[in-house]
Amino acid sequence: MRAARMTRRQILKSAGVATVAVSAPWWHVGKSQAQRAKKIVFWHVPNFTPLADELQKQQVYEFAKQAGLKESDVEYATVANEQFDAKLAAALEAGNPPDVTRLYESNVQFYAAGGHLLDVNDLVEKMRREPKGIFESAMTSVVFKGRAMGVPLAVNPWPVHARMDLLEQARVEYPKTWDEFVETSKKIQSPPRLFAFGMCLGLVADTTDNVMNLLWCYGGKMVEADNKTVVMNSAENVAGVKMIEAMFKTHKIIPPGAISWDNSGNNKAYQSKQAAFVMNPSSIYAYLDGNDKDLQKVTGLYPVPAGPKGTVNQIDTWAYGAFKKNPYPELAKGLLEYLMHPANYDKIIQSTGGRWVPVYKRLFDSPFWKEKPAFAHFIRMAETGVPVSYGGSPTPAAGEVLNTNVIPKMIQRVLVDNWDAGKALDECHKKIVEIYTRYAKG
Amino acid sequence: MRSITGTRRLLKWVGNALLVMMLVWTLVPFYWMVVTSLKKDKEIYGFEATLVPRQPTLANYTRLFATTPFVKYVRNSTIIALGTTVFSLVFGCLGAYALARLRFPGRGLIARGLVVTYLVPPSLLFIPLFAVMSTLALIDTHQGLILAYLSFSVPFATWLLMGYFRSVPVELEEAALVDGCTRFGSLVRVILPMSLPALAVVAFFAFTQSWNEFLYANVFVNSVEVRTITTGLTLFVVEDVFFWGPMMGASFLSTLPPLILYLIFQRWVVKGLTLGGVKG
Repeated sequence: MRAARMTRRQILKSAGVATVAVSAPWWHVGKSQAQRAKKIVFWHVPNFTPLADELQKQQVYEFAKQAGLKESDVEYATVANEQFDAKLAAALEAGNPPDVTRLYESNVQFYAAGGHLLDVNDLVEKMRREPKGIFESAMTSVVFKGRAMGVPLAVNPWPVHARMDLLEQARVEYPKTWDEFVETSKKIQSPPRLFAFGMCLGLVADTTDNVMNLLWCYGGKMVEADNKTVVMNSAENVAGVKMIEAMFKTHKIIPPGAISWDNSGNNKAYQSKQAAFVMNPSSIYAYLDGNDKDLQKVTGLYPVPAGPKGTVNQIDTWAYGAFKKNPYPELAKGLLEYLMHPANYDKIIQSTGGRWVPVYKRLFDSPFWKEKPAFAHFIRMAETGVPVSYGGSPTPAAGEVLNTNVIPKMIQRVLVDNWDAGKALDECHKKIVEIYTRYAKG
Repeated sequence: MRSITGTRRLLKWVGNALLVMMLVWTLVPFYWMVVTSLKKDKEIYGFEATLVPRQPTLANYTRLFATTPFVKYVRNSTIIALGTTVFSLVFGCLGAYALARLRFPGRGLIARGLVVTYLVPPSLLFIPLFAVMSTLALIDTHQGLILAYLSFSVPFATWLLMGYFRSVPVELEEAALVDGCTRFGSLVRVILPMSLPALAVVAFFAFTQSWNEFLYANVFVNSVEVRTITTGLTLFVVEDVFFWGPMMGASFLSTLPPLILYLIFQRWVVKGLTLGGVKG
């Protein structure tokens, strides 16, 4: 049987048909999204407590009712943290993102840079005009090119969770400096069952957070405020890394297994009483609230000890993002205004048991925050805290540095491969420069 | 003679030792899952890893059934896995028969294309498929997920059955046709009864693959009403805290249906994978 030859015209026809066939779904999705019925599509990322989840859901439905929508006009989907990125990527690619969802720190900048987010500047300005205003530290992550592209939802400090019972037994105070921290640690630890400092050192995001927080106290940072000048190989960073190296190798106050921990490693170490200090958001404290009240009672939440350049505390900011594709932007903004109304918002914040710290300063006046000594330092931390990208902003470039574990790899060069701190920081510096340069070029 | 017996005995011992190692390799994670689901949080997070729970508790299972939509996840996984299995068998049989018995242009190309289709990773397909599903309004539906799963189960089913059908002698079918059977009748009355082991393999693989699938279920499903077990399990991780007890309980229970299915059809599955229609 002879194979039939195709003419040029037939080839062009086939190519045309194939192009239409391949692009039709996208065109249809875009069209159907633009023509869709009036409704709210809300992607909910689970909160720490089921009560907070339930309250948030109730409030979304309450708003929908007030806006004249039926229950069936609300698409309320729960998306686990782990699934979020892949799901949102597919939805954006297909032109079918949610109307409103919660975004983590540099994600606001990332999606704003991609032109996906709705400008919510008017709404955020209204929040700032509330009595006492909002924590301005939260604005760093939501402002893109001078406009608020996300609504700050919570400011989460990273306090040191400290075992007060062990400090009392050793008759020592919570350490004020990192040098004191080492001495105190030696007094309270009893390895291998109990190491003093559950510092995350695995190839995960929490390691970037823990390492950078210590480096800031030594005057170090990743990038200058211009978000261009990378300063990772500074003498201050070298001093900070050498301190971590000494804590791990010489003083042996960090568990050896910490170099292979995932993001939950420090949580597990503290929750199982195998570490006396950990630097983490208050998810551990909130977990203990529901699962180990005895340990919670003896847990203090403190600012990180001071280094030669003082104390710098980390915060991370979560925000609501509203997506542009929504043909009913006013409905999405109305929902955000309803959720962020201080009365509604305060209910959710309190139901998280301290996991979320409110963006409205005046909510700290409530007994919830005043009655628990553990929260005594939270307001100052929220006020003065900095994002992990400090001295710069949580830009998409900073997000890539975090997601690709450049800094954890650096610290492992020192702790695992026994590299000199300066050499490891030089390598790390080059990688970060490459990332920032790539984003600067667009 | 003695040395041959000695060598055989040695080989037997080595074989048995390897089997025991493989058995341990397979069973230890399963055992760990079960015992973790029976421990309290304090013991799970304790300094010493305990092989047997100190104070066994069913609290994690109670929590699973009382406070999470686990039953709905099981229901959804069952509907979707059974739907995928049935459609895979139907389309697989028809496709495989056509490719094995009928003569038409492009037959070889299609047969080879099946293997290629099966080899395309879902991570490349999920975004285009999402667009197709959105167009067809199949996002967040059981039907949508079944359709997505057929994209990998039908090529596998067709490819496997095609080889099996080819091993059934054409003469048997011709005899049926001479006796007045139609093409479809010969497929149903002659080919399929002789291919039961292969059908069991297809059914088992289609069921297991769709039961365990994660990526499509993650991307194409939003609501609890359609969510499957695999994506439901991820909700036991909140931020950086893992709720190991209920997660292990849910994982253990979710392994049971494929396991039971395999134990029931074990003999056919092994036969289907190793033999043709008229052998054995």
